[in-house]
Amino acid sequence: MELLKIQNVKKVYTTKLGFNQCVALKNVSFSVSEGEFVAIMGASGSGKTTLLNIIASLDKPTSGQVLLAGTPFSSIRDRDLSKFRRDNLGFVFQEFNLLDTFSLKDNILLPLVLSQTPVKEMEARLEPVASMLGIRHLLSKFPYEVSGGEKQRAAVARAVITEPRLLLADEPTGALDSKSSVELLENFSRLNREAGRTILMVTHSAMAASYAGRVLFIKDGDIFAQLYRGEEDNRGFFDRIVGNLSVLEDGGSSNG
Amino acid sequence: MGKGFYRKLAWANVRRSREVYLPYLLAAAIIGGVYFLVVGMAFADKLSGIPGGDNARMLFAMGTTVFTIFAFCFLFSINRFLVKRRKREFGLYGVLGLSKGHVARILLWENAMVLLGGLALGILFALVLGKLLFLLLLKLMRALPSLEFSPSPVAYVAITGLFGAVYLATSAYNLAQVHLSNPIQLLQSERRGERDSRFLLPKALLGALLLGAAYYFAWTIQNTGLAMGVFFLLVLMVIFATYLLFNAGSIAILRLLRANKGFYYKPTHFVTISGMFHRMRQNASSLATICILSTMLTVTLTGTLSLYLGQEETLGPLYPYDVRYYIIQGEEPNPDITPAAIDAFLAQEAQKQGLLMTGEADSRLVFTERTQDEGYGQPIEGFEVVYADSDWQPLPHSVYLDGNLYFDLAGDGEACLAFVEEIPALMSAAFQVPAEDYGQVRDIFTARQDGYGLYGGLLFLGAFFSILFLAVAVLMLYFKQITEGYEDKDRFAILQKVGMEQRQVKKTINAQVLWVFFLPLLMTILHMVFASKILTRMLGAFQMNNWGLVLACAAGITGGFALLYLLAYKLTARVYYRLVRWGVGK
Repeated sequence: MELLKIQNVKKVYTTKLGFNQCVALKNVSFSVSEGEFVAIMGASGSGKTTLLNIIASLDKPTSGQVLLAGTPFSSIRDRDLSKFRRDNLGFVFQEFNLLDTFSLKDNILLPLVLSQTPVKEMEARLEPVASMLGIRHLLSKFPYEVSGGEKQRAAVARAVITEPRLLLADEPTGALDSKSSVELLENFSRLNREAGRTILMVTHSAMAASYAGRVLFIKDGDIFAQLYRGEEDNRGFFDRIVGNLSVLEDGGSSNG
Repeated sequence: MGKGFYRKLAWANVRRSREVYLPYLLAAAIIGGVYFLVVGMAFADKLSGIPGGDNARMLFAMGTTVFTIFAFCFLFSINRFLVKRRKREFGLYGVLGLSKGHVARILLWENAMVLLGGLALGILFALVLGKLLFLLLLKLMRALPSLEFSPSPVAYVAITGLFGAVYLATSAYNLAQVHLSNPIQLLQSERRGERDSRFLLPKALLGALLLGAAYYFAWTIQNTGLAMGVFFLLVLMVIFATYLLFNAGSIAILRLLRANKGFYYKPTHFVTISGMFHRMRQNASSLATICILSTMLTVTLTGTLSLYLGQEETLGPLYPYDVRYYIIQGEEPNPDITPAAIDAFLAQEAQKQGLLMTGEADSRLVFTERTQDEGYGQPIEGFEVVYADSDWQPLPHSVYLDGNLYFDLAGDGEACLAFVEEIPALMSAAFQVPAEDYGQVRDIFTARQDGYGLYGGLLFLGAFFSILFLAVAVLMLYFKQITEGYEDKDRFAILQKVGMEQRQVKKTINAQVLWVFFLPLLMTILHMVFASKILTRMLGAFQMNNWGLVLACAAGITGGFALLYLLAYKLTARVYYRLVRWGVGK
């Protein structure tokens, strides 16, 4: 079933006086089915973060539209957007975005508290999520007391505890060492396979992308190509992604 | 490295962080300017010429010592606060390859620039505003505004000495900060975790106990001497208790709230309580300091203003009549100098000056404190005789000996004063008697003039201290807003990304900011209520016993201060909201 649909999304940034226009996204269309794990790859400046912000409803497209489970974002009133995000989307960011003022437990519970969940239910939901991500023993610690990988796992817990329809990850391994990255990506695969979570991840790392089921390549504001994993293992998929990336690079230099 | 490299780098630093340095510079200028004026007035020769001027000068001279200490401590602690915030920057310099010696040289330059700027600006302030303030002082002292303020050279020496000492002390502190640490530690210093201090509950309880005891004594002590004796001790208790309550008490209360899960896990409570934890851990000490400074300011001003406004009240019981003219007749009175003759003569002289001597025979009373048994003679003919003790109560069998002529004078106050001062000379000339025997005049006009000199000077000094306290309190408020603005910026963005509505974020943040802002003010008002009582007792030493007046002054001053504080908040909050900007973006 189609969960997310991006239709002809265009995003143009205009400087204050309107002299310079910068086209971040030209005309992007694609869709994500329920239960998919999709990675979006591209160099910096390719427009991938703009795309993610639009999908996250943090930014609005200049034209075109985004639909989540058939609901167009443009039909949601501004003041309902926060609630919509809270109920439907989970976010994992490169820089973790945990609040120093909360313990890990409270950080994870934050979205549930915001939607006024009863205390008992919150604690019941926390337990399995924390166990799955291996941070049960760290719950009472504060973000500055744990490692980067542990912080990011707490951030993932915060993103999935609301059981969102779509999990959005923006360079989730960007600030992690390779061991923590692998651990995190394995957590993502498990969330995808075992818990059936739909994940959309933006990354520039071929290693990270090789954990996904499908990779979209974006370049200069356009979808340039896409690869399906099929039955391939991570290693083989990784090689194909790297191969595709070099094509992307060549194309870039020949186009000038 | 090239010539002037460090100077240029330091100048670039100062300019780049002008939103921190500019207020520092201003505060240094205000502190310096006020200091300059206090010293300038303490040593102003011209003040000694005017009535009550010596009283004022003496006060300023005493004020100078206290002022020097305050000014030094304030400037030093502002610097300490700024340097602590910059540890990361020092670390970065180290990583970039500047040695500690290089960093030290940059800091020395920066420090010199800011303090020199403050010194110059302060003297400028003082010279520009000095004339105006001097006129104001003369007005408070009810002296003729004919004098020009020209600061004594001592003031230039003193202010240079003060800033020099501050430069040496702050530089030594800053260098120690740089030398005692290594780059990695410095880089990480801002990210260090916040842990609650130990013995939280005992500390909070001790604070409450100390404050309660101090309040109890302040409220119940009846005796002026005792009040004076313990006042300083009570002040120390209140200061200590304030720090304890802000530091430990606030955290203890927040912990209790957090322990109540049903209460804590509600959207607004959740964010507000955790935010308050952070804010109180970060700011408790500076909030307590703001509270203490505010209380000092309001107590000083209330005390001095009450004395100034209550002067007539204190003079009243001391001078039932405007003038007491004391005539020593001895055991063999001169029959020519009858009260009637003196009376007629003085009334006539008064009239020449355009003054009206009032109080007919019935109010011209003669008192004696000696009794018949002591063997004195008959009263002088024409004086009404009242036998009295020192409380103006007639005594049985007391007999007149020497005479006191009591009368009121109506007319221009300065003419009255001039007339009263002339009485001995006039008498001596008219009756051919030695002036010293007929020169005992005690009058309300001289006392009033002396009082204005003393209390006006005190009020003025109180106002100067208040400016000092206010400048520092506002500066701390401002720094607090900047620090929080930078930190909250990230926090808001995260809260919104996680799905909190912008409106809700604003609401909880505003609540926190207001709490932090109002806490010192509320505490100040509470301190003031209790201080007003013991203040009245202490003012009893000046015959000032009107609690109502003190309370009214306290209310007026505290209200005025609250308005100023609000204004300061409004101004500094703008900086805060500009930093925060509420946006989701990075």
